[in-house]
Amino acid sequence: MRLRIAYTKVEDARYIAHLDLTRVFERAMRRAGINMTYTEGFNPRPKISFGFALAVGTEGEREYVDIDIQRDLDLGEVLARIQEQLPPGIRLLQGRVLTQGAKPLMAVLNAASYRIRVLMALPIVPERLQEGIENWLARGHVTLSRFTKKGPTEKDIRPWVKRLQGEIQGDEIVFELEVEMGNAGSVRPEEVLASLRELENLPLELDALHIKRTGVHVSYQGKNSSPFEQLAEL
Amino acid sequence: MKDHNVVQGGLVDTMSILTAAEIRRQVERFLPKVLKPSRYLGSEWNAIQKDWATTEVRMAFAFPDVYEVGMSHLGTRILYHLVNSYPEFLCERVFTPWVDMEEEMRERHIPLYALESFQPLPGFDVVGFTLQYEMSFTNILNMLDLAGIPLHTEDRGVDDPWIIAGGPCAFNPEPLVGFIDFFLLGESEEQLPEVLHLIAEQKKNPLPRHDFLVRVAQVQGVYVPDFYHVTYKSDGRIEKIEAEAGVPAVVGKAIVKDFDQAFFPTNPVVPYLEIVHDRMMLEVMRGCSRGCRFCQAGMIYRPVRERSLATLLKQTEELVRSTGYDEIALTSLSSGDYTCIQPVIQKILENHGAEGVGISLPSLRVDSFDVGLAETVQNARKSGLTFAPEAGSQRLRDVINKGVTEENLLNAVEAAFKKGWSTIKLYFMVGLPTETQEDIDGIIDLAKKVVNLGTKLGRRNITVTISTSIFVPKAHTPFQWEPQEAKASVELKQRYLREKLRDRRFKYNYHDVKTSYLEAVFAKGDRRLAPLLEWAFQHGARFDGWSEQFREEVWIEAFTELGIDPHFYANRALDYDDILPWEHLESGVTKRFLVEEHHRALQEAKTIDCRYDVCTGCGICPDRGVQIELKG
Repeated sequence: MRLRIAYTKVEDARYIAHLDLTRVFERAMRRAGINMTYTEGFNPRPKISFGFALAVGTEGEREYVDIDIQRDLDLGEVLARIQEQLPPGIRLLQGRVLTQGAKPLMAVLNAASYRIRVLMALPIVPERLQEGIENWLARGHVTLSRFTKKGPTEKDIRPWVKRLQGEIQGDEIVFELEVEMGNAGSVRPEEVLASLRELENLPLELDALHIKRTGVHVSYQGKNSSPFEQLAEL
Repeated sequence: MKDHNVVQGGLVDTMSILTAAEIRRQVERFLPKVLKPSRYLGSEWNAIQKDWATTEVRMAFAFPDVYEVGMSHLGTRILYHLVNSYPEFLCERVFTPWVDMEEEMRERHIPLYALESFQPLPGFDVVGFTLQYEMSFTNILNMLDLAGIPLHTEDRGVDDPWIIAGGPCAFNPEPLVGFIDFFLLGESEEQLPEVLHLIAEQKKNPLPRHDFLVRVAQVQGVYVPDFYHVTYKSDGRIEKIEAEAGVPAVVGKAIVKDFDQAFFPTNPVVPYLEIVHDRMMLEVMRGCSRGCRFCQAGMIYRPVRERSLATLLKQTEELVRSTGYDEIALTSLSSGDYTCIQPVIQKILENHGAEGVGISLPSLRVDSFDVGLAETVQNARKSGLTFAPEAGSQRLRDVINKGVTEENLLNAVEAAFKKGWSTIKLYFMVGLPTETQEDIDGIIDLAKKVVNLGTKLGRRNITVTISTSIFVPKAHTPFQWEPQEAKASVELKQRYLREKLRDRRFKYNYHDVKTSYLEAVFAKGDRRLAPLLEWAFQHGARFDGWSEQFREEVWIEAFTELGIDPHFYANRALDYDDILPWEHLESGVTKRFLVEEHHRALQEAKTIDCRYDVCTGCGICPDRGVQIELKG
């Protein structure tokens, strides 16, 4: 039986690295006494797969995982038994049984939305913020230099940004950001904010960002749906 | 003696201590930026969050190395859960922050905190360090400093925690005298709770520091260095070590009464990040009486005691249920010698094989090697088989009493090749007492014989990894009187081996001479090294066991600056009638036996294992209420 589960990765769990998350689920399943299905071969691994990695330290309000288990069990009971064995911060929100031939998460997910809270270094008026965002969005290209293992590279981050809104709340600005994600890459929320500060002179205190990924989506013809809805349509 | 009854002014209050909540808030701001942030959180599965308000004694268990190393250590797992098993005690963990984390913490004046509660270390009643290797000593000073706890016992007041330490290096803790209030020698399962109960009593009805220390010194294995006075001869050797009245003249180690039934945690903390030994551990046996003459563990953990099959199977069941790990290690100093090794492996696989649980064994002795056993073992499949002949010639193996023969090794390797293995790792030591060129050539010969055997048996892609460490003479072993070989000649031997093993079928690894040399200095060091340790720490030494962090220039300068000759400690042959820096500390193995064993080593005479033959008279069994316990 293949399961697709939506879960949170918040509080201390946000520091669990993506590579370690497989082990966290694997051990929870074993403690719960639910036998997983393993890959064939020399070094069998349990069949657990995730969507796009969440950066360490970034909270996820609704992430997804697919897990194969050996026996057909009652979905509600399986979720309850796994939940009992998961560390605080990882809370199971919803689950579905996948039908034969359902595409893996990585094949369907292609967008993500973020909420970013950032302190203002100087107070600004809402009009100033809106103007900055509009100007930034109006740019055709936003080139960013990055240092990678292969040396400095440049990339245009503007095409990945689908939506950007901001609102002042007290001494903070709260941004809502939606980006495209794919095998060809994406843009990190920190990069968008750094660029906003640099190009539009917005006084953002980048050392104290609080980033939350509010969702990951299946985006098709301008409409976002969850990887659950996409199942229903199949 | 200095009057410690009054609170020393000044030092304690200069650093305003942040609350746990403030520390957590500040740490969370930069945590995503440091390497492996989950090193610094105490919210792992099975971590114990106890109530501060309702516990009498709060202990921080401190491992002076990074999280992944400390969490892999069985003793740490045992003692953390042992202390927490008492409702009146609380125990939290703290490890050395990696250099990036230290930088962030120092920049923001965040004190070292314990993982579970984020409480700063000065708020605990006890900070207990485990002394696993000498090269972690500077990390201890660094952790005290990061915590804002005065380094020197004499600068600490009644509000500061007791700084205690145990583990194998407590059998010669002299270089740490002045920083640690008291040491715990031997097995802590019964001793540590006894000490903590005394501390609870002390909190309720405080005695002057001196009186409390006299009281705690009555506990088996507790060593309070303040009460032992060392005087020196003009040539630098020790004249005498004198104990004050009211404390034992010689401190003997503590031993648990009933090893089979001794406390063992079956709900260990399961880390988020991958640690060095990321698996369940089952302690099948304690102690080893093979009698290798270089091996400190083989001397200080005597006598050999095994756990019963029934106890181990029950513990395995509980471990699997509580951790969800897929691998269990059967640990001890030599698990192949455990008399129930076959049945325990068979039963574990029978009971838990279907859940995907595999077994791993640390390196196997070639003389008790069983290829069938190796086949059932998980780590061997993945990483090849490891054998430790330790020395290249039969003569030298007899000197060190390793016992194994070339025939043993070649038989084991042949069986392994026939079963499909093509990666073999061989461990040796260089610089062993009496070593000659022939013994070094013996390493090369042995390596070649292994490769040729594989080729003859038709194995392709054979890799033989040869690793050499450098002999470090250790306290309480028959080789404690031996010098370490001079750096220059060890380097020549390493270079020679590197040249001779230049072949794609061989891989040669060797230990760094510089760190092994410093290890030898501290392994046989005395309390005059304490200022050296402090100087090196103040000038940037830490993580000395990590080659990329080791700063040789700091240590060279430290020796010069303080006028201490490292050769005096590392490269000097001691006389039998020299007073050793650890003369007043006792592992239970008598000095007479060690002298005898040293003689026998020089005569190339082997000594038997008392498990399978008559008593060798090491001295551990009589008068301690313990004896060899075999369950097979």
